[in-house]
Amino acid sequence: MFLQTIVNGLLMGGVYGLATIGFSVVWGVMGIINLAHGAYVMIGAYVAYVLNQWLGLDPFLAMAGAMPVLFVIGYVLQVALLNPVMRTSLLLTLVVTFGIDLILIDTFVQIFSSDVRGVQTAYSGRSLALGPVLIPYVRLAAAVLSVAVATAAYLFLNRTRTGQAILATALDREAARLMGIVPERIYGLTGGLSAAVTGAAGCLASTLFPISPTLGLTFLGAVFVITVLGGIGSVPGVILAGFAYALVQAFASTYLGANYQEIVAFSMFLVVLIVRPQGLFGKRFYGEAAS
Amino acid sequence: MTGSRKSLVLALAALAVLAILPFVIGNYWLRVLTSVFMVGVVAQGLNVIVGFAGYHAFGNSAFFGVGAYVVAVTLNAGWPLPLAFVAAGLASAVVAGVFGWPLLRLRGHYFAIASVALNMAFIEVILNLGGVTGGAQGLPLPISPMAPDLLYRIIYFLMLGALVAATAVVWVLSQSRLGYALRALKDSESGAEVMGVDTVRAKITAWAISAAMTGTVGGIWAYWITFIEVSSAFDIGISMRAYIMMLLGGIGTVFGPVAGAFLFQIVATMIWAEFTHIHNLLLGVFLVAVVMLVPNGVLPLLSRAGWRAASARLGGASTRLSHRLFAREER
Repeated sequence: MFLQTIVNGLLMGGVYGLATIGFSVVWGVMGIINLAHGAYVMIGAYVAYVLNQWLGLDPFLAMAGAMPVLFVIGYVLQVALLNPVMRTSLLLTLVVTFGIDLILIDTFVQIFSSDVRGVQTAYSGRSLALGPVLIPYVRLAAAVLSVAVATAAYLFLNRTRTGQAILATALDREAARLMGIVPERIYGLTGGLSAAVTGAAGCLASTLFPISPTLGLTFLGAVFVITVLGGIGSVPGVILAGFAYALVQAFASTYLGANYQEIVAFSMFLVVLIVRPQGLFGKRFYGEAAS
Repeated sequence: MTGSRKSLVLALAALAVLAILPFVIGNYWLRVLTSVFMVGVVAQGLNVIVGFAGYHAFGNSAFFGVGAYVVAVTLNAGWPLPLAFVAAGLASAVVAGVFGWPLLRLRGHYFAIASVALNMAFIEVILNLGGVTGGAQGLPLPISPMAPDLLYRIIYFLMLGALVAATAVVWVLSQSRLGYALRALKDSESGAEVMGVDTVRAKITAWAISAAMTGTVGGIWAYWITFIEVSSAFDIGISMRAYIMMLLGGIGTVFGPVAGAFLFQIVATMIWAEFTHIHNLLLGVFLVAVVMLVPNGVLPLLSRAGWRAASARLGGASTRLSHRLFAREER
């Protein structure tokens, strides 16, 4: 029971972490709290669903389709709507992103209706048995892939010129401009890449959760908690926090009942905010400096 | 006549019209106006914490839900109606005080998402509490024995009364020591501290006032619609719409949020009546459009246009005066 709980937590943690990276980076680099972030997860899941229905494509392979789609959506929204308001006030960015969230969710309600859907694979429902512990193949694949994509995102930010330019803009916008970086272009790129990574998380989520236009709302709460826990803008922090969050949820669900896992998660959130608002790995008020 | 005298006279005239209207108009417009007053109070509540103190309480809808559930539970327990409304306001203020003590130490983005998380936490708590709150099934309220026509008019006046009271509170606040303290800490918290403002107490008081307003109308709303569930009582869209009304009317002003509520709700009702199935999509487009096109609110825009028209007519001295006013405004 104890081991199974740990395994359950670890298997879910990767997806939660991957779903949070984009939110955390956008906050860290641009000082935007993107309330439409949950909708990106939802769109990723629908791309996987559509490709699965039409072409019989495996939802994990659908990531290759979802990432470009989400990149375009994230880039366009950033350049057209968020760049003009992001440096005015927190208030305006929150209202705009909430508006985008409503538009995206309602668009999907119009296209797909509010019905709950799911994707099936040949291996769903099958598990690997390691002694008393059961590891469903779907969850194992989702966990491994999420860590892989997260690692790629980390390497991109830290090892490529473009990634370095994003981080430089986050640290000091004016100095970055003097180095020949165009902040507006970097912001568009950051918005697009964050959405793309989130779309990949959405594909993974399509195999684990029922798909509906409000799928993102269930994620948004977790995304808040993990961002704050991991430290704003820190990719490794977010991944570790994703596992921590999922482990806490798994234990709450096993030992207190499934009803309590959200309450425990929110309590954790409040405690972290009060005790260590810069998160476990973040620098103090990194996001504030960017905004 | 000075500006504030003039707006007071205008407000009293509007109030007189609003007091007569329910005996003239049909039930449809009665319902629309009642909801205008309701969201107007929510916008005023937000105005206190956002407009004065500068804390972005995006999750203020939490108090709307707390008020609704307090009224529902107490009425089901047989409490008299006025007592239930008072309990709703008080309970919301207490919740704001208890959570405000730790949360209001957070600044900027952190406070904003902490308040959203507070709202989400309430949803989960009530879903899991079950029992007297009805949990996921929702909670019916006792049906009033009054005739519907009479009942809806009483609720109209309750909501109107709440809006007048909330606006009066904001007006008093704008003149009071606390109001000055809040505006000071909005500009610079450490600066206010140095000047001798007890910032922690001022912030918590402001949030409690904000919560009491929001919770009271949440309670009246629950009595009005007679059936509540978490998704409608703790709908974050409530505070989001209130934000837009505040934006439309002008943040931190006394009458701005009220004007914004009228403008928003009436336009929205007229448009959405035609397109109920894409209601949220249009709301989203509207939110984005307001921020993009009129981020400083509609009222300043209108008054500026009014000035231009007036100065074009009179020319000479008044043009120079208006130029000077514009120069000040734009600085």
